[in-house]
Amino acid sequence: MALPKTWQSFLDETGDMSRFTGRFFAQGFKPRYEFSEFIHQCFIIGFKSLPLIGLTGFIMGLVLTMQLRPSLIDYGVESQLPAMVGIAIVREIGPVVTALIFAGKIGSSIGAELGSMKVTEQIDAMEVSGTNPFKYLVVTRVLAATVMLPVLVILSDAISLYGSYLGVNIRATTSFQLFFKQVFDALSFSDVWPAVIKTFFFGFAVGMVGCYKGYNSRKGTEGVGRSANSAVVVSSLLVFIIDLVVVQVTDLLGIN
Amino acid sequence: MMAKRLINNVKLGVFVIAGLLLLILALYMIGRDSNLFGKNFELKVQFENVQGLTAGNNIRYAGIQVGTVKKVKIVSDTLIEVTMLIDEKMKAFIHQTDLVSISTDGLMGNKLLNITPGKDGSPLVKEGDILQVKKVASTEDMMETLNRTNNNIAVISDDIKRTVQRINNSEALWKILEEPTLPAYLKESMAHIREAAGKAADMANDLSAIVNDVKNGKGSLGAILTDTSIAKNLDQAVVKIRSVGDHANELAEELSAMTQGVKNDINNGKGTVNALLKDSLMAMKLQSSLTNIEQATAAFNENMEALKHNFLLRGYFRKLEKQKKKDEAAASVKK
Repeated sequence: MALPKTWQSFLDETGDMSRFTGRFFAQGFKPRYEFSEFIHQCFIIGFKSLPLIGLTGFIMGLVLTMQLRPSLIDYGVESQLPAMVGIAIVREIGPVVTALIFAGKIGSSIGAELGSMKVTEQIDAMEVSGTNPFKYLVVTRVLAATVMLPVLVILSDAISLYGSYLGVNIRATTSFQLFFKQVFDALSFSDVWPAVIKTFFFGFAVGMVGCYKGYNSRKGTEGVGRSANSAVVVSSLLVFIIDLVVVQVTDLLGIN
Repeated sequence: MMAKRLINNVKLGVFVIAGLLLLILALYMIGRDSNLFGKNFELKVQFENVQGLTAGNNIRYAGIQVGTVKKVKIVSDTLIEVTMLIDEKMKAFIHQTDLVSISTDGLMGNKLLNITPGKDGSPLVKEGDILQVKKVASTEDMMETLNRTNNNIAVISDDIKRTVQRINNSEALWKILEEPTLPAYLKESMAHIREAAGKAADMANDLSAIVNDVKNGKGSLGAILTDTSIAKNLDQAVVKIRSVGDHANELAEELSAMTQGVKNDINNGKGTVNALLKDSLMAMKLQSSLTNIEQATAAFNENMEALKHNFLLRGYFRKLEKQKKKDEAAASVKK
């Protein structure tokens, strides 16, 4: 059975990544835990990403509001602008845009960091010195990414809504109280829960792909660049694929 | 190194807690809107058709958000039971006679339930009570009514059309309408009518004044009608007239007695009348007297003729004769 070379390598990598993920689950929840390294990674991955995520979130809220306004005026429902933007941000724009920015920043940095450690044989040295490099490097980063992205998304949603409030007030006047009330009147639990839960998957995917690419980096410094690049590409793609899967699942479960 | 790590950890802690607080706040806000927190009680209402109402739709009492629809359950093919979840505080306001209707939020918005206050003084609701449905004109009913109205309007407009056509075809009417002098005449007539009415009013005023005067006893009529002394006078007059009548009777009797006496005297040759009628000597004397008078007048006539011929008076008589001749000549010429 002869598969084309591209297919063969694709399936090879998919299998390899699956095994890598299995290894994460096999080792991640066994002691001993690298707790302080996990906290440190959380700080780097989460807190340090906040300015970038906050800025993009603010701009997204503002721009979305201004872009939606003409269409809503056409339908004569300009007053529904806060409700519409609120739902759009909380359900889709907030999680996906934040995850993409997160993939660009964190996926590439993890890929590059682990890749350079790999090609400079620091990982092998760690193994020799008795530290489990997988636990210390991979598990902490993946967990940190998984936990931090939802927090980032929630903060980004809040900043986006503030941007949207300013956007509404560019052309019209709305009190913050009314804006706030309209947004939360429109939202329901079925809008918030799936959105929050899927961000865990986004974070996990970004961390996992970044670590896998970096951990399996080859061919010297050139390989580091390639693994950083492919980490971003693959994790961004995975974000969309997970989004697609999640929307199908929530639709099947009837929580729309 | 350790101090920096601690600061970083604090920053991370603030970051995570901020995110979690926001999430909790959002969930609380959403939960409060759907009445998940705080005390609630249930009310029920039964519809034939819920028009798309679903669980989670809003319930309003006199326009205020008071709860949400908890459940929509089919009881039978013509009965659907809706369970409403309402804020406990509203127990003090919702009465058992309050009515529930389904309406729409805005023109095309979500369905919602409206509870309208019913009669005053009925008891307040208890947990699980079933409220009555308010009959609201559905779109179908409205259409049906509208259809009837349309038909009526069609008939009416037909009639109006026929009437207008007849008016248009009437020459006389148009002549009247197109007559340019008509307005002036009408105006004049109106002026006359107004004048006449004014006069009539004046007359009526005068009449009323007269009637008033009569009432108050002024003027002769008033005196007649109102003066009591006149009646007395009249009475006396009548009495006098009657007594005069009585005297006349006596007079007549006396007259009759007198004529009787005269007749007797004549027959017995007494008095002047008898002498006149019966004395023959007196008759001869009378005849000679009359002859004397005749002779005297004849002599007077002769004297008068002599006067005519007297020179003093002759001019006058000639003039008379000339005038007479002239008149006769003029009369003959005319002939």
